[in-house]
This record gives sequence, structure tokens and C-alpha cells, in this order.
Amino acid sequence: MKQTVYRSLSVLLVALGIGASGYAQERRVAGKVTSGADNAPLVGVNVAVKGTPRGTTTDASGTYALSVPSADVTLVFSAVGYVRQEQAVGTRTTLDVTLAVEDRQLDEVVVVGYGTVKKSDLTGSLAQVKAKELNAFPVPNVLQALQGRAAGVQVVQNNGAPGANVSVRIRGTNSIQGSNEPLYVVDGFPTAGSNPTVLNNSDIESIEILKDASATAIYGSRGANGVVLITTKRGKAGRTNVDFETSFSQQTLRKKLELMNATEWATFYNEQAVNDKIAPYFTQDQINGFGAGYDWQDLIFQKAPMQNHALNISGGTEKTQFSVGGSIFKQDGIVIGSGYDRYSLRANVNTDISKKFSFNVGTTLTRINLDRRNSSAGNRGGSMIAAALSAYPIFTPYNDDGSYRILAAAIPWGSNVLVNPINFINEQTDQVRSNRGLANAALTFRPIPEIAIRISGGVENGDTRNDAYTTRNFVNSQGTASVSTDQQMSVLNENTVTFTKTLAQDHNISAVAGFTYQEFLNTSVSGSGVGFISDQSETHDLGAAITPGIPQSGYSKAVLESYLGRVNYSYKGKYLLTASFRADGSSRYSAGNKWGYFPSGALAWRVSEEGFMKKIPFISDLKVRVGYGETGSQAINPYATLNQLNSGKTVFGDAQYTTYAPGTRLPGNLKWETTAQTDVGLDASVWNNRVRVTADYYVKTTRDLLNTVQLPSSLGFTSTIQNIGSIQNKGFEFSVDANVLTGAFRWDVGGNIAFNRNRVLKLYNGQDVLGSAINITVTNDFINILREGQPVGAFYGFVEKGYNEQGKIVYEDLNADGAINIRDKTFIGDPNPDFIYGFNSTMSFKNFELTAFVQGSQGNDVFNLSSVGQTLDYGFGLNMPREVYLNHWTPTNTTAKYPVISRTTQTQISNRFVEDGSYLRLRTIQLGYNVPVKNLGIDWLRSAMVYVSGQNLLTLTRYSWWDPEINSYGGANSINQGIDHYSYPTAKTVTVGLRAGF
Amino acid sequence: MRNLFTFLTMNTFFNRRLRLPLLALSLALFGGCSDKALVEAPKSLAVETYYNTAAEIEAAVNAIYSPLRADNCLGGLYPAQHEAYTDYGYGRGSYAILSNFQGLDNTNITRVGQMWDLFYLAIRNANLVIRNAPNATSASTADKAKYVAEAKFLRALTYFYLIRNWGGVILRTEANMTEQNLKRTAADDVYALIVSDLKEAETALPDAPALVGRPSKWSAKAVLADVYFYRNQYAEARDKADEVMKSNKFSLVPVTVADDFAKLFGADVVTTPEEIFYLKYTRVNGQGFNLVMFAHNPAARLHGAGGFFAHYTDALTNNVYKNWDTNDLRKTYGWYKWNIGLGANSLLNKKFTDPAAPTGSAAANDYPLYRYADLLLLYAEAASRAGSGPTIAAMEALNQVHRRAYGKPANAPSAVDFKLADYNATTFVELVIRERGYETQYEGKRWPDLKRSGKFRELIKAGVGKDVADKHLLWPIPISELNFNTALDPTKDQNPGY
Repeated sequence: MKQTVYRSLSVLLVALGIGASGYAQERRVAGKVTSGADNAPLVGVNVAVKGTPRGTTTDASGTYALSVPSADVTLVFSAVGYVRQEQAVGTRTTLDVTLAVEDRQLDEVVVVGYGTVKKSDLTGSLAQVKAKELNAFPVPNVLQALQGRAAGVQVVQNNGAPGANVSVRIRGTNSIQGSNEPLYVVDGFPTAGSNPTVLNNSDIESIEILKDASATAIYGSRGANGVVLITTKRGKAGRTNVDFETSFSQQTLRKKLELMNATEWATFYNEQAVNDKIAPYFTQDQINGFGAGYDWQDLIFQKAPMQNHALNISGGTEKTQFSVGGSIFKQDGIVIGSGYDRYSLRANVNTDISKKFSFNVGTTLTRINLDRRNSSAGNRGGSMIAAALSAYPIFTPYNDDGSYRILAAAIPWGSNVLVNPINFINEQTDQVRSNRGLANAALTFRPIPEIAIRISGGVENGDTRNDAYTTRNFVNSQGTASVSTDQQMSVLNENTVTFTKTLAQDHNISAVAGFTYQEFLNTSVSGSGVGFISDQSETHDLGAAITPGIPQSGYSKAVLESYLGRVNYSYKGKYLLTASFRADGSSRYSAGNKWGYFPSGALAWRVSEEGFMKKIPFISDLKVRVGYGETGSQAINPYATLNQLNSGKTVFGDAQYTTYAPGTRLPGNLKWETTAQTDVGLDASVWNNRVRVTADYYVKTTRDLLNTVQLPSSLGFTSTIQNIGSIQNKGFEFSVDANVLTGAFRWDVGGNIAFNRNRVLKLYNGQDVLGSAINITVTNDFINILREGQPVGAFYGFVEKGYNEQGKIVYEDLNADGAINIRDKTFIGDPNPDFIYGFNSTMSFKNFELTAFVQGSQGNDVFNLSSVGQTLDYGFGLNMPREVYLNHWTPTNTTAKYPVISRTTQTQISNRFVEDGSYLRLRTIQLGYNVPVKNLGIDWLRSAMVYVSGQNLLTLTRYSWWDPEINSYGGANSINQGIDHYSYPTAKTVTVGLRAGF
Repeated sequence: MRNLFTFLTMNTFFNRRLRLPLLALSLALFGGCSDKALVEAPKSLAVETYYNTAAEIEAAVNAIYSPLRADNCLGGLYPAQHEAYTDYGYGRGSYAILSNFQGLDNTNITRVGQMWDLFYLAIRNANLVIRNAPNATSASTADKAKYVAEAKFLRALTYFYLIRNWGGVILRTEANMTEQNLKRTAADDVYALIVSDLKEAETALPDAPALVGRPSKWSAKAVLADVYFYRNQYAEARDKADEVMKSNKFSLVPVTVADDFAKLFGADVVTTPEEIFYLKYTRVNGQGFNLVMFAHNPAARLHGAGGFFAHYTDALTNNVYKNWDTNDLRKTYGWYKWNIGLGANSLLNKKFTDPAAPTGSAAANDYPLYRYADLLLLYAEAASRAGSGPTIAAMEALNQVHRRAYGKPANAPSAVDFKLADYNATTFVELVIRERGYETQYEGKRWPDLKRSGKFRELIKAGVGKDVADKHLLWPIPISELNFNTALDPTKDQNPGY
């Protein structure tokens, strides 16, 4: 206010002065200032008359008006974030200016835990992915958009089903018992789950991934696996912007497997009958009559549509800003009957109540509808995908009278668990309906500019209901219904004080301290029933079941209390120091071990700010940093340290009676798992920031690893958990971003590559920890193992040696004791990749933009469990890949790929099934056209872009089945990594879409 | 919340100098009292406060039955495994290799390991009752004794199953139940515990069980008779069986036509006078008799949820079936012709059927571990062996079972009776063993009987033409024990051949 008065006075004085000397030369200049980025009017731009104190600022519509003394005047236009412009007024009375966005990448601010920091002041290892990349193509889960975008962040889709879980590993696997998923923080709220499915991609402004301990230690006990900070869009003062986007996609199966046709199949099984000295099943006439038969894969796969629509409205004034977004996402799956729908509404308001108080509130409400099919796992045709591959090609799904063919009875010597896939499609439903809400409110008080006190509270709520129904038409079914519901609530209160001050111009201090409390409550209820008179009621009348099941319910509560503090100090912007400390108390651990302490420290040196470096103009920025920190992992469920009794039922007479006994796990005194990480990194940018490079080397060691200790099973307690164990991850990350060409033809590229080596250092007593035994009848054995000195989840099995004289598989007797047993097993593969990489290229010319993104993984093995039954289980009439028919052992072909076709052929978990799962995938390629709205004179549109793109169009891999990017038994803490067990295949997609701004 | 309050009151002090010390003070205050919020309070029972009332002890005793009745133990895998080791039938699919009598392959070794784990889980649950019930604070002495006796009965029964299939095993009682590493105990010492537990049970258990499926003193006597019988202590076996017979509490269920056997083995039968000790099942998913799935072919619809048809016999190639009198109603009732791709003469067993069963683990048939027919046949052989040949009582006992099998009343002489004069000590024993084979088909009892009698090699050779390897007589100690019990040596302590 003071300034404006002064200005007006001076204008007046000058005017008077000019007036005194000849005011006829004073004239008015007016105009509009717009942004070069999106043609939006710019508010608050300084318009000054060069060399004078005269000036003004643009108003809410971007216009300004100013009196200038004479024609030889230059106006200077300046605003934060934009390149300053000077324009000579000349004789013009109207002067419109467009300001270009300043490429000040280094002064960009990034979100870190409990605060923000300038990118140039970062001392830790952090990767940032912005909205444009996140929203590049439609995905049901925002984490899939992160795949390949950040070095060291491995995102694996466990299978291709809509709504399927995604596993994220930042710098390798740390924990055996505990979750390996990172902590997800949405707008400062640490969420309880391992997947932030509540958000739509278009709601997200940016994602920062904290990788090293000096950045994650502020999250203490939950930071050991890295932290993913998600910031949703905020409003900005100025005009109200409306952004709309819509896209439609079509997904198709990438390839069908080549199976035997009917004639080949019948010939194949006749050979099996002859080998087993049984009369052949088919006569030659019958075989000649079969022809090609039916490909059952056609029955279960379909082309599936996907659509995504989102509307964002944001805007505000100096005092209050808001952002509201709504979205609809609908995806059908390529396996018939599967699908995922998500509807969400998000609102965010930020207001300054007064000069000292400001208030912020954000809410997100999401509804998810998920339809699943029993498509994966199984054996001998017991699941949808297994059945489609195994079903007999001489039959079609329907009998002549239109009823479903019962495949288990169709041939007497066939598989008794083979179910006609039409049953899974039409006669079974499995629906999940989920309501999720996230609400956060914060009050910030700034008594003096240097101090901000922030009190916030938030709630995360999830209600899920799962209804599964099998109708009476399903083979051998009398109608089965089951309903289960889950209620999760997490309440958070955070109180922090932040202090920022610059002392003596050179010393910048910023500190934060606080206390947080978070409570997690889970309850569940379920019921079931078998035997219904009619399918009409589905799961909505369990009481009508002939045999009701016993209802179940559960309860668990956990509490986390923390104290945190961090100090950031920088001297002249050249020498940077960060130190943080967090103390976490968790209710899950035993008394006396409830508190864990997690310190960290980091140093950074901006070499480019030193005098000697300024002489090398080629290097615009160079920073080296080193950090060390300890973070923890909660790793156990609530009540795991208590000796609880489990209830059950037994039968006397014809009625059920309650039983109480402890479980089979002996509880123990447990404490925190701690991960210590050292990180050395370098950030450099050269050629005036045109090429930016980041490199990191890290060593991460987890100690006090919670480890299952097997007990002799005669104890009744088969296992216990103790903190004895240690795992190490060591690796190197490298990422580069470059503006290769700037000018009319712009070309930006970015790439990253990360190497990680994972080793189990110590297990209890050197004992191996075995993965689960997976029963597919033809084998019932474990596949993965943890052993000291080997990576987590390595494959362990027999080694084949060829065939014997009867064509049966022979295994290496590695310890030469004459017997083939567990002592002859060895390491046969490793599901962990040698390195992962991603590469992004964006080219734009005039209004066209071509983007391509390639992502890949190299050196990871896949254990093809599906092929164990599907290629070696003879004698039950199962259909098989054609190569088994073309390439199997006969007395004249003794070096074939497959053994003799006989029902006595046996197989073990061996190196035969380990395949190279390395892949390079063109994840997306997109051609977009920015409609030149201004030139076309459409003033109600700010911007519009139409695009066509394809996802997963090209995959280069040597894996023989559908997709190498699978993890059938993967999950937060699974040892059973890298197994393909009839996994739902990933689709390739073609999308067309429109993005418009109003 | 206290912390919120403190911060809010702080904010009213616009005095910068006071602020930081106050902050430090409040943080310090919190360090002390926040641990209370971290104490867990689950909504469930804990071992430390349990085993005090009669109802609690009873629920703990009930927990001994669950592992025994489970699908992976006596409820399914155990009898399924044994039914592949018979002279009257064969295994199919993953059970086929067992009918060669050359030991187990990996798939079956895994199955056997699962049974071991469940037997020892039952023993642990029994030991928990035996150790904790005497210290109960609000149960009567009579109740305590009753439940301890029931637990000891079940423990003895479980060890009896363990020792017959694995030999001398690890002996866990309430005294050493928390010790991890124990050696294998000699067979004699295991039997000593079994006998002492059963002797305590036969006095302390009630005359009639409180619920059908709980043991009575007669159940304990029947099992004790079987233990003596297995150890070839024929006089003790005969006397113990005689006590049960003289109690007049049990009788054979009368049968006139083949289908009447459903009155003994059918799914809807709750109890019969023939029941001495059965594992009870009901038509609820997870509470059914899983063995029934192993018998049937899905198309036959004799089990509501399908079937694995894991066992079969053959009218042409199996000598026991071929030589079996067609007038024996057990032959008609027990088997049905079904083509399973192994020739035109294959038959599947239908002793247990439940067409109304909704899932694989929901067949309502009970598993007859001990029935009166078993006891009569035991008495017959024991009496003959303990004496110098068949006695009148022994022959009568055999004839009662035989008459019932032909549809005649059990207690009256009939035309089909065996004559005492026709048999001597050797031939009588052979006869009883053959009859016991017919009577106990698909009940998982044939193989232990063949082993006990010492006649397994000749009878298997005669029935199915196979030679029995020594390795096949005992199951391997599972890796889940050998690898983690440091008192065991993986090579020396493993059963031969593994």
C-alpha cells in the first residue's frame, strides 16, 4: 500500500512536472500479459518504465494500464518464473506481451518429508515424476505409471487382471516377514495400505520418491523400503482453470499360445496309450474325422474396452485457492467377466484466514467396483486359464442340446478336475465393492515469519465388501455364496513446528520438530452358505442356505507414536548439511522393545558454486552428496508377540462344538528391523542445464531381520519368529535428462538405469528358509529359497541330465549317493533382475508431439510353473502346446525337448522350467496434436490436444509363454517371487484421447 | 489429546522467548506417559489366562480332535495312503506308485510329512490339557480327572498311529513339551506310555460318553486290546476284548440285503450300537470326511462334489476280488463297476457315499476307527493264538461277523457258519485274517493288520502279484523334523531306505 501511494504521488509529481514543461507528450499505454506456456493471462506481473520508479502490475485478467512520459520509453515486464522482457513502446498505445516460462529447473521446489526444499539444496537421493508423465496413458493404478520412470524403482504388475496388485521395490528387497512395499504419503498423510488406489492419475501434481536413508529417516519406522510422496493438484491465484480429459482404449491379448489341434491331440494320446500298453483311445477313422477342432482360448479371451474421463477445476484469489477434480475410469478385462471401475471426487481448499493463520483441507472420495474371475493358478484344468489351455479340442463348449458340456466326464480317462471354462464365465461371480475416503485438514500459524506451527488431523477410511457366488448350474455345485467385509480406519494427528531463518546472509537454517500419533483399526465380518434352492438371491440371503457356514469376525488395532526433528543448514548455498532424528513407538512390539530410534545425516557440496568452478561455464551445476541413515520396518502384524488362542470347530454326534488351542507359531520377544543405508551421489548439469545427470551408489544393510525359525514339527509349534538375520542390497543408479534439440523442433530425452545386487547375509543358525510348497498334483514342492550368501527368492531345484533308455527324465545326482532327493537340489535361477531401465523421448514440432517410452528389465528369471503341468502331465487327456507333439522323445528321437509320452512320466521342480524373463517393452508411444486454438479464434478454449497412442505394442523377450512380467505369488513379503502360474496375461492397448483446457 | 491442548495454549503466548523452552518441556512430558497407548489389547483369549473353568478345558480337549479329523490326517490322507497298500485293490494317479510296494516318491513323502505334523499338533494340544487342567482354578476335581483322561486317551491313540507307521518316534509328554530337541525313543518305551495312558483312561472315562464321538471306558479298552494285539500279546488282547464283549453295550447292526450296510456307513447315520470309537463328521464345509472324495468318479454322482477316484480294483486281475464269494453282501455293497480308462473290469469302492455333500470336505459319513465287528474279529484271532487253536468262543465271534455279512441274524446259528472242526490253529488264523480283510475294506486298517500278522509278503504277492520292499514298511521321518531337531541325525535316525 505504501508503495502504491508513493507511486501515485510520483506519477502525479512527474505528471505535474511534465505538465509544467509540456504534458501533451504524456500518454497512456495499456495491454495484456499472457503466459507463454498455456496462453493464460498472468496476474501480478510487474510492468515498469525502465529507468524510472514508475510502474504497475497486471490485474486478475492480466491487463495493465500505465502512463508513459514520452515515446522513447521501454517497458520492462517481469514476474517470478518467467523470463524478463523489455519492449520499446514506440508509438503504440496497446502493448500485449507474452512472457516465456523460465527454465529454472534448479530453483524448482521438491516435496520432502515434512516440508519442501529447493532442488539445488537437496542432500538426499530423490526422484521426481511430474503430472505430464504420470498422465501419459490411462492406467488403473497410478503406480503403473511410475514403471521405468525413476532409477532404482522397480514396479511389477503381479498379473494382468484389471485392478490387480502392483508390487513396488525401491532399491531391492529388505525384509522376509515384513512388507517390502514403500510408504505412500498422500498430501502429507502416511497411508496404511500398500497401494494408493484411492487416487486417479489426473489428480496428481507430482510424485517424489525418497530413496536414501537421509531422506526417508524422517519417516523412521516406515521408511526402510523408501517413501513415495504424492502431492495432489492445488489451485493457484488467478483465473479459474477448467481442464477436461477423456480417452477411449481397446485392449487385446498380445498372442495366443499355439496348442495342438484336434487331430494332433488324438494322435498324441493314442501314442500315450500305446506307450502305456493300453488299447489306443481312437481309431484312425475317428482321428481323420476330427479336423482342426476347437481352440478353447477363443472362449475366454475378448477384445476389451477401457475409458477414462476426468474434470479438474482450479483457481483462486490471493487469499483462497481451490482445486476440485472428478474422474471416472472403467476397464473391462481381456479375460471375459473381469473388470475394474473407479469413480472419484477430490476437493482441496487452501485459505489464509489472516496474516498469521492459514487453513488447508483436502478430501478424496473413491468408489471401486472390481469383478474378478477364478482365472489363475490351478492344475489339470481346475481354473479358467488352465481349463482353456487343457480342454480337449475335439469338443465344443456346448452339447447338441445347448447345455454345457461336462468335460470331467466327457472322456473316462481324462482329468477329473477339468471344468468347462463356460462355467467360470457364466456361472460364477466374484465382486469387490470398495468405498475409500481420505480427508486431511491442517491449521498453520505463523506468529513470526520464521516460525510456522502446523497442526493437522486426517482420516483414511476404507470399507470393502466381497461377494462371491457360484450358481447351481456350475458343474457339481448346489449353489455357494460367501460374503466378506472389511473395515479399515486410520486416524492421524501431526503437530510440527518449522523454523526458517537466514543469518548474516550466508547461513540458511531450516528446522522442523514435531510429534505425531497414528492409530490403525481393522475389523472384518464374513459369512457363507452352501445349497440354495434358487440362484435368484445370489449372496443376498445367506440365511436361506441349506448348509449355512459359520460366520467369522476379526479385530485388530495398532498405534504408532513418534517424535521427529530435522535440521537443514546451508552456507552460501555451497555447503549443505541435513541431520534428522525420529523416535517411533509401536504397539506391535514386545514390552521393552516398543521404541526404535532412527537417526540420519547427509552432507552435500555444490561444487559449481565454488569460485574455481565458475571458470568452467560448460558445467552449470555440480553437486556431490553423501548420506547415512537408519530406518525401520514394523514388519509384524498386531498381536504377533502375544500367545493367543484360536477358535475352531469339531463335530460330536451331528453338531459342531467349539475348540480353543494356540496356533502353530510360537510367539517371541520381537523388536524393530533396522535398515542402515549409505548413499553417495552426484548431480550435475552441463551446457546451461541442457543435460542433467544424477548418479548414486548405495549400500543398504538390514539387521535384526525378522526371520521365521523353523522348529521341529513334533513340537506342535512348527515355527517361531526371531530377530536374527540380515540382508544387504548394493547398487548403482544413473539417470540422465537432456534437451537434445531446442528451437522449432524440440527433442527431449530421459533415461535411467539401475543395478541392484541383493544378498542374504545371515539367517538363523544358517538354516534355509523355504518358499511355500505349491501343489499342482504332478509336483508338490517348493521353488524359492533363502540361503546365506544368495539373493532373496532364488530358485532351487534339480538339474536335468537328459533321458534314460525309456525316455524318462534323469536328474543329476549331485552328491553321488545314488539317490535323487533334496540333497541333489541346487540353485537354478534368480528372479531378481541384473538391472532395470527406462528411456523416454519426446519430440515436438509445430503443434505435433511424438512421445515414446521404453521400459525393460534384464537378467530376471521366470519359473514357468504353468508349463510343468501343461507340458509334462500326460495320461489325463490334457491339451498341450503344439511343440510337445512335434518334439518329444521316441526311440528314434532321443534328444527331443520333451520326454516319452506316458502316464508314468514323472517330473520334479528343475531347471527345465526356468526361463529368461528379460524384456524390453515399448510401454507407450503417443502422437499428439495441439489444436492451435488462438489462431483459430476459439476463445472459449484455452488449449486442446488430441492424441492417439498405443501401450505394450511391442515386447522383446525370450519368454515362451504370454508375459515375462508376472509374479503370480508375489506380494508385499513373499519369498515366492518370479513364478508364472497361469497368470492373467497383460494386454496391448490402443488409445485415442482428448485433453482440453477452458 | 493432551499434546494438542498444550500446543494450543502455547499459541496464546506471543512471547517468542517462552516458546522454545515450552516446546521442549511438552515434548519431555510426553516421553514419559505415552507408553500406555502402546499396550496391545486384542479381543481374543490368551494362553496365560485360560484353562480355568470346565468349559474352557472342554474346548481345549475339543481342540485335540481337530488335527486328527483333518483332511490331511485321519480324515483323508491317512486312509487314502493305506488303501493303496492292500491286497484287494490298487492306487491310481499319484497313488499308483504306492501299489508297487517299493517305498514312497516325493509327492507321497510330502503327504506323509503333513500327517506327521498334524499328529504332533494333536499331541501338543493333549499335553496342554494334561499339564494345565490340574491347575484350573474353578473346575471340580471330577471334571479335571475326566478331561485329563480323555486327553490321555487321545494322546495314546495318536502315538499308536505314529508308532505303527514310523517306528520309534519322539516322545513328547506334558513334562518335556517345550523342549525343542529330543531324540527318538525306543518303540518299547513309546508303547509303555501308550499302555499307561490307556489304563488311566479305562478307569477314569465314563461308562457312556457325554457326547457321541467322545470316548468311553469301553473305547479305551478296545484300543488297549488293539495295542496288545499289535504287539502280539495275544492273551492280554483276548482278555481285554472279552471285557468289552461281556459289557453287552455293543452289538452288530443287522443287515438283510446289501444296501442295509448303509445303516452302518451311510452319511445320514448319527450313531449305531456298533460304534466303539468313531471320528464324527457332518455336512458342513470343512467338517466332512474327506476320504469319501478319494473313492468316487465325478460322473457316478456318489459324492455331491465330484471325486478323485484314487483307488480301484479289477474283477479280472485282482485275486482277492476274484476269489471272493459273490453271496457275501459286502462284495455287492462295497464295489461298483466304472470305466476309468484302465480296462473294462475296473471297480470303485462305495462303502462311503454322500450324494448330498456340497463340497469335497463336507461328506457326512463318520470314520469308524473302532467298531464292534473289529473287536469280535480281534477276539477270535487273539483267543486262537493265545490258546492252542480256535476255541468255541473264538469261532462264535468270527461267525457273528460272518453271518451278518451274509444277511443273516448275527446271534443265531446259520447255514453259512464256519465249523470249528474244519480249522486248526494255522488255518483258523488265515481265515480270520481273510475275513478281516473283507470286513474292513476302505477303512485304512488292512496294511497295519498285514504287518502285524507278519503275512504281508505272501498276501500281497497272492492278491496283486507284487513284492514288498523293506523300505515300504515304515514312512520316512519328514524334513520338517530332521532339519530342525538337532538331537536327530539325518542319516542315522531316518527310517531305512530314505
